[in-house]
Amino acid sequence: MIDQPLVLGIETSCDETAVGIVRGRTLLANVISSSVEEHARFGGVVPEIASRAHLEAMPSVIEEALKIAQISLRDLDAIGVTAGPGLIGALLVGTSAAHGLSLALDKPLFGVNHLSSHLAVDALDESRALTPAIGLLVSGGHSSIIQVTNLVSEFHVLGATIDDAAGEAFDKIARLLELDFPGGPAIDELAVAGDFDAIEFPRGLANSDYNFSFSGLKTAVSRYLQSTPNALKADVAASFQEAVVDVLLTKAVRACTETGIEALIIAGGVAANSRLRSEATRRCAEAKIELRTPPRALCTDNGAMVAAISSLAVSAGVAPSRPGFATLSTAPVDRPIWG
Amino acid sequence: MKNILTIDTSTDRTSVGLVIDGVLCFETHHDDPLAHGEVLPKLVQDALNIGTPIDVVAIAMGPGPFTGLRVGIAFGQVFALAREIPWIGVSSLAAMAAVHDDPEFIVAIDARRREFFCEHYLDGKLYAPSRTVQREDLANVVLPKYFDPPTPLGIAKLASTSHSVLEPIYIRKPDAYPSPKGVKFRQWTHMDLVEIYGLEKSVYLDDPWSMEQFKEEFAGPSRQYLVAEYEGKVVGYAGIMLAGDVTDILTLTVAPDFRRRGIAREFLKRMVDWSRNQNVVAIMLEMRVDNVEAEPLYLENGFRKISERVDYYGPGLTAVVMRKELRK
Ligand SMILES: [Zn+2]
Repeated sequence: MIDQPLVLGIETSCDETAVGIVRGRTLLANVISSSVEEHARFGGVVPEIASRAHLEAMPSVIEEALKIAQISLRDLDAIGVTAGPGLIGALLVGTSAAHGLSLALDKPLFGVNHLSSHLAVDALDESRALTPAIGLLVSGGHSSIIQVTNLVSEFHVLGATIDDAAGEAFDKIARLLELDFPGGPAIDELAVAGDFDAIEFPRGLANSDYNFSFSGLKTAVSRYLQSTPNALKADVAASFQEAVVDVLLTKAVRACTETGIEALIIAGGVAANSRLRSEATRRCAEAKIELRTPPRALCTDNGAMVAAISSLAVSAGVAPSRPGFATLSTAPVDRPIWG
Repeated sequence: MKNILTIDTSTDRTSVGLVIDGVLCFETHHDDPLAHGEVLPKLVQDALNIGTPIDVVAIAMGPGPFTGLRVGIAFGQVFALAREIPWIGVSSLAAMAAVHDDPEFIVAIDARRREFFCEHYLDGKLYAPSRTVQREDLANVVLPKYFDPPTPLGIAKLASTSHSVLEPIYIRKPDAYPSPKGVKFRQWTHMDLVEIYGLEKSVYLDDPWSMEQFKEEFAGPSRQYLVAEYEGKVVGYAGIMLAGDVTDILTLTVAPDFRRRGIAREFLKRMVDWSRNQNVVAIMLEMRVDNVEAEPLYLENGFRKISERVDYYGPGLTAVVMRKELRK
């Protein structure tokens, strides 16, 4: 068993070609090449463009990460790669490249779950003990509440969205408000000038389990805009954002209290939303829950999170994945490391 | 002395080989159009188990289906990077041709959708540039035709003799391609009407909308109007209206100099999105029967011809009515 394993992680599940390198729980490099600008004009991620961009960027992103970490590939103890969920064509570029590394270097390869690796960035704060936590994972690709008992062996998806992801809802409403893609930052900015109590938008699935639904909210905003020609866009943005933040946090905090777990990790692109962050701080303090929010660069998709979870797997003696493991597009599967 | 590891994922076959000084030492393959990603690592593992050092990785760069092709290229490039050895890309069709010596022949790769990627060779040289042909047309060609996927020997032979192909060969355009940089999409305002009208007159010579029609349309309820703007100039416009449980595209116009750059596609995408937000069952449009430029775009985006309206655009100008279902 290696104590402070040197691990390189590759992430290509959506539009970021990302490579991270960690030693144990210390971050050495985190390089991201994004094709987001190429998708902007389509108002959403185009899988074919993403896959093409991954292939073009892959070798140079790896080399850049090695340069920053000041290591050579031969020094690595293991390689990690996102195996799912994600866009299948995009994932395959990453897993193929990772297999290339693993076989060329004769080093173990870990195919990891994208959801659990999002939460594993928490481990890169070395001051922290790795206690069980509830994870609220919110981005353009996912909205899930996850119970993390052990990052590499035991995590359980308590709930997920039944239609749109939270970030997707932000993008769609931004388009209705004629704001730029990606919609999250644009709405966040506009909402500052608005009144979040101005319009009462519905909270989807408010009373049931830990699942989310944002399509009804989207329809409500669309109807409101049609029936109110002189609507104040800032108020619409703030009220919409409030509806999303309220339902996300109500369920996340309830997951903590119902499971008796006293820590909440919020990760994913939407974790950068300023209203979500301030409300989370307030509600967690109120409920006596420890709030752990990774730095913004580690919230969105990145390779460091893949390297982090793979490093934890090496330290814990978890067996590497078998060569040629399958990529899965539509998991949420409750396994952190592929067999 | 060169030991070449060959990788090909450009057809339904995933193939790996070891060629040493032009002699095939190891070959393995697996036929499955959907399993390149899972199969390739295992096949390479088998090749490595032989224990021969590798000097070069030779990768078949296509043409071939996107997803499989990228598996081989991503793997091969990064394998070479990790071993600190060069990689050489070769054309899959040229690799196929390299193992045949008929005076004249055709090599072809199944491109799906009843089409083939083909190359025609004469006296050992490429006779016509590679192209996509219909299955029926290929069947009528009387020359010898070879459909076998690239072999390690063919790939290695090319890797030793020709320049490296550095980019994947994607014959077919991706499903979405970017519109030109600097084109901005936004809603119409009254300020745009003069420019829009000018463009309308220059595009629809025989029956443009009048200024009054534009003003009327613009004032109507339940409509969405968009313009595409390039360097402050209107280069396209589109309009759609809500009509009961369907939406109807009123106009979709792009200035001739700005066509074939994805502007119409982007307009169409935005109008489809707008229609979905209206919760309608379908989106409709009328197109002139001879509009060869626009028709493929509509067909690709799921529109189907449902009827014709004779003389809709004036005497002899028949309209085709197209419809795209939005709800199952
Ligand atoms: Zn993610």
